[in-house]
Amino acid sequence: MKKRPDFIVGLTVLVTLVALVSSVLWMQQSDPTRRRQRVVAQFQDVGNARVGNSAVIRGVRAGRIQGIELADDGAVLVHLSLERGAQLPQDPVVLLNESSLFGEWQATIMERAALPRDESVQRQIAANVAAGNIPGATLPDIAKLTAVAGQIAGDVAEVAGRVDVAFDASAAVELRSSIRNFAVLSSTLAKTVTEHATDLDTISTQLQGAVRSLNQTAQTTMLLANRVDSSMTSGELRRLISDLSAAAAELRATTSTLSGMSKQLAGTQDRLDSFLGNGDSVLAKINAGQGTLGRLLNDSSLYVGSDSLVVALRGLIAEVRANPKRFFNLRVF
Amino acid sequence: MNAATAVEIVGRAARSRIERVGDVAAFVADTARAARDVRTWGPEAAQQARRLGVDSLPIGVFIALFTGIVLALLASYTFTGAVPLYFVGTLVEKTITMELAPVLTGLALAGRVGANIAAELGTMRVTEQIDALETLGYDPFAFLVFPRALAGVVMFPVVVAAAMIAGVGAGWVASIALLDVSSPEFVKGIRLFFEEFDVRYGLVKSASFGLAVTLIGCRQGLGARGGAQGVGGAATSAVVYSAVAILVLDAFWAIVWLLGHTP
Repeated sequence: MKKRPDFIVGLTVLVTLVALVSSVLWMQQSDPTRRRQRVVAQFQDVGNARVGNSAVIRGVRAGRIQGIELADDGAVLVHLSLERGAQLPQDPVVLLNESSLFGEWQATIMERAALPRDESVQRQIAANVAAGNIPGATLPDIAKLTAVAGQIAGDVAEVAGRVDVAFDASAAVELRSSIRNFAVLSSTLAKTVTEHATDLDTISTQLQGAVRSLNQTAQTTMLLANRVDSSMTSGELRRLISDLSAAAAELRATTSTLSGMSKQLAGTQDRLDSFLGNGDSVLAKINAGQGTLGRLLNDSSLYVGSDSLVVALRGLIAEVRANPKRFFNLRVF
Repeated sequence: MNAATAVEIVGRAARSRIERVGDVAAFVADTARAARDVRTWGPEAAQQARRLGVDSLPIGVFIALFTGIVLALLASYTFTGAVPLYFVGTLVEKTITMELAPVLTGLALAGRVGANIAAELGTMRVTEQIDALETLGYDPFAFLVFPRALAGVVMFPVVVAAAMIAGVGAGWVASIALLDVSSPEFVKGIRLFFEEFDVRYGLVKSASFGLAVTLIGCRQGLGARGGAQGVGGAATSAVVYSAVAILVLDAFWAIVWLLGHTP
């Protein structure tokens, strides 16, 4: 049976339409049966996030961005369509961020505690807390980061330029001179320290000795104090004072005795002076060869005579020793 | 040649161009007016839809199949080492849906449908069948032009939609079979930047192509003069003008619609 053109055309149109609509729904990941769970996140700005971008939980794709709409209060509401089995973390937040360098964005659902410690993110999250909606924050995209990096590079270049202006050739010479002076100062200081190290050791040793002496003195003082205490308690102090009075009296007597002795010594000195003067005059006469002693000392003939006499005496003594009977004839009976 | 004659030549040329534009405008207006005569064009519409649309499905799908395969391979060749290969899916989907399926299918149908219409109506014109229709009280626009134009507007998007599905599917299969791209990667690439606008844009564009191709074919066919040579010239002119019209309309939609679209 030959089919009518209307049927064929209608069938073609319907089949193509069904296939096309199914393909579109499949590519859009639509959910006509509403079996997926839906959550709404609130943002101040969604960056380059688009409908169809992935929603990720702990790195696993769990759904997609179903819709983006402006809210009345200046916020942006992002509708997320999540797979039925996907479990949201406790106290969830949504972070919109780039998932690749090719402009692809994703919505990352995470715990609030796992948020990056970024002041901007925390501020956005705090500003987007609304009843029924998950608070969200948007990370800057590569373009913004590049712009900021460019700005930083510009600032660095400006600072470098200023440093270049301030740090001219004379500044470099001065800095070099300062470094050189500092090096000399350092070496001198090191040498001084080395030289004085032994002195310091000595001083330290002496100081230790002094400390030891002080300790000993302190111990002695303690003993003395103890003795004083005991003296105070046993009445010996009075006896000591009385002994001291007696000693002072004896000292005074001794002083007067010494005074008298001093006077006598002065007289003795006078006499000694006159004796020395007389001695000087006698010696002067002797040196002048005057008198018997002067002649004896100054006349060599007497010395020669005496010397020959001594020689004769030695000979006589030797002869006596050798033959004593010649000179001594001792008879008792 | 004096100055007055030169001015007359310029005036005549200008008038000729304006008359041609006026003829085209009158032709379009007569076609639109014929929409009221449902009794005349109603029985013919389905027949023309089958001839222009259903019978053109194989050629449209065939072109799209090979276009999808080649496009996937070209995308892979371009992206290797620099761009992730799942963008092959993105490129295939965007290019097939928004550009290649409508334009290539439109060009193919311009040759098949445009030439067919021009030859058919041209033959009717030179054999005075159209004059006979007018004598019998039939409006040739309602009986011949409007059903074809309607079939073009309705069935071109159908053929293009089938070409879209076939092209993307062929690219998908080629990516899996011939390239180092997995099916999930290709699907990820498709879904990454897919918008319903892509399909709408392609279908609306193809509908405008269908209208242009059928109207040009009808115009050339109804304007045929002489014998077989006139019919052949009309068919050739229909194909050439249709191809040019498709490319012009393609640019028109890109400027008017695509340029102002914010994803």
